[in-house]
Amino acid sequence: MIKLFNNKKARDVALIAVLALLFGLPVFKPSNYIYAVAVMFAAFAALGTAWNIIGGYASQISWCHATFVAIGGYTSFLLYRHFGVSPWISMIPAMAISALVAILIGSISFRHRGVFFSLTTIAFGETFRVWLNYQKNLTNGSSGLVVTFKQSSFVNLMFRSPKEYYYILLVMLLICLFISWKIQRSRMGFYLRAIKADEDAAMSLGIETHKVKLKAFVISAMMACCIGVVYTFYMSYIDPTNTAGTDFSTKIGTMALVGGVGTLSGPVFGAAILIPLAEIANILLGSSGAGMLIYGLALVLVIMFRPKGVRSFFLSDDGQSNINVLERGGIWKRFSK
Amino acid sequence: MNGFWMLGQSLINGITMGCIYALIAVGLTMIFGVMKVINFSQGECLMVGMYMTYALQKWLGTEPYYVVIPVAAVMAMLGVAIFRFVVKRLLTGTRTNIMVATMGVAYILSTAMQLIFSANSLSVQSQWKDVSVTFLSFAVSLPRVIACVAMVIFVSGVSVFLEKTDVGRAMRATAENTEVAEMLGIRTTNMFMLAFALGVAFAGVSGLLLSPTYFVNPTVGTPFKTVAMVCVVLGGLGNIRGAVVAGMLAGVMEALVGSYISFDLAPAGVYMTLIVGLLIKPDGLFGKGERKA
Repeated sequence: MIKLFNNKKARDVALIAVLALLFGLPVFKPSNYIYAVAVMFAAFAALGTAWNIIGGYASQISWCHATFVAIGGYTSFLLYRHFGVSPWISMIPAMAISALVAILIGSISFRHRGVFFSLTTIAFGETFRVWLNYQKNLTNGSSGLVVTFKQSSFVNLMFRSPKEYYYILLVMLLICLFISWKIQRSRMGFYLRAIKADEDAAMSLGIETHKVKLKAFVISAMMACCIGVVYTFYMSYIDPTNTAGTDFSTKIGTMALVGGVGTLSGPVFGAAILIPLAEIANILLGSSGAGMLIYGLALVLVIMFRPKGVRSFFLSDDGQSNINVLERGGIWKRFSK
Repeated sequence: MNGFWMLGQSLINGITMGCIYALIAVGLTMIFGVMKVINFSQGECLMVGMYMTYALQKWLGTEPYYVVIPVAAVMAMLGVAIFRFVVKRLLTGTRTNIMVATMGVAYILSTAMQLIFSANSLSVQSQWKDVSVTFLSFAVSLPRVIACVAMVIFVSGVSVFLEKTDVGRAMRATAENTEVAEMLGIRTTNMFMLAFALGVAFAGVSGLLLSPTYFVNPTVGTPFKTVAMVCVVLGGLGNIRGAVVAGMLAGVMEALVGSYISFDLAPAGVYMTLIVGLLIKPDGLFGKGERKA
């Protein structure tokens, strides 16, 4: 298989071209609809990048990242509605809360491995969603919360068109990618990949696996929470089912899993392919649920035929992801006594 | 309405609901026990079973309970199809791959049903729908009683199958140690397929039993799926007895939280049971533990 951008020079050119395209989107004078799709792309690429730190590098598949998005959303909505606090400022308490929640979830869930970790995160995510429904005085229950548009202002994250949100989320995506890149190259990144390859072996080499996983989970949660603040202000509406539900969590993970799990650019590839495809499916099949069909098909087909993700059509393995290590054994080798 | 009555009624509601959870969890734990894989499309299979019941009931005009055999047969075929086309190809990979792939299957199934039947809720007609059985002033609706009886029949049937028949023994051997079972001449892939077919058929039957009391829509399976997964983890790995006990416990906790604290919080009762249960017994109620050094 010929990789399009194996050549380092070609890769740099492609990277610059993509950045120019993303930042130069207004040159094409797109409609608000195109901007809205672009906002979704930037938001999900950034969320996928955050998810990838724990779900990809360490292969600890978490299905509760919507919880952190909801913490960001609810904290900033409530502070704005009651005290008029700028969402940029409420990012700080929101990050603190999501770090605490991540420590709580992580310290219990990381006792388990593999699928059991995933199941425990689902239990936590669902508990949080149910709790949001229950706290009617605070969160308005299942009817959700709205922020009403008064006037365009950067401080209050309110704009008339999706264009400004697109730029903010694009910058946040780049920050997320930078953090992800830093982690990938750091000692912690190697620890996480060691955990992915064989947790027992990593432990026996003296890696405090529990601590490393928890740290990665907290970083990932705080990133998801910040993106959640901007994303929910863009939506200007939050409710427990859509913002904190398991469907949202799986959508976040799907970006990385389809694009190329455990790689830096994977979530971006995933979002770039899935978000427009889901929009096209919605138009063609004429129903808003049809997008889910695309997510489902993409997940099954990618896992079956391209476990390294869509990214691997364009880029060769950068030596950083080690999916193969896990694949060599096969399930019965690893799980028989 | 005194306190005793309320407690008793909550317990009865919880146990009857728990029976249904137990049935779904047993289907899931069978797949898990043999393959060490969680089928994330189990809830959607249950939903497909409900739609099957709806369609057959409309077509034949009989009681939904009479179509249990065709529904189970079609669902077993669906299980075989999922196994052959998706899971079988992934057996050489990691368990995470299979988990994610079955999650994709779940999306495909629920969108397919939405495109066929629309997203509107449908209801299955049954003459026994509104009948309730009164016992010492406690009332239980008849469909729930039927579901309990069916659970006992199906679970004991499967236990006998696993304990007494040769195929059942081969399945248990596969669950115990796939490599050795293979060496002894058991076609483990066939055992996997059988487990998948049985598990999905159980989900379909659970859907049929739920259909008189629930509206049928494409997302109806999701909460049952999460509760069943909780029961599988809480019960201990691939342990059928554990799944039944955990299912009952989940049902009772849900009913108690629902009637004493808040109806909105009822599902949280189930999840908190899991979280607390795992804190006390990390390997599940009857589990031997996943990690083997």
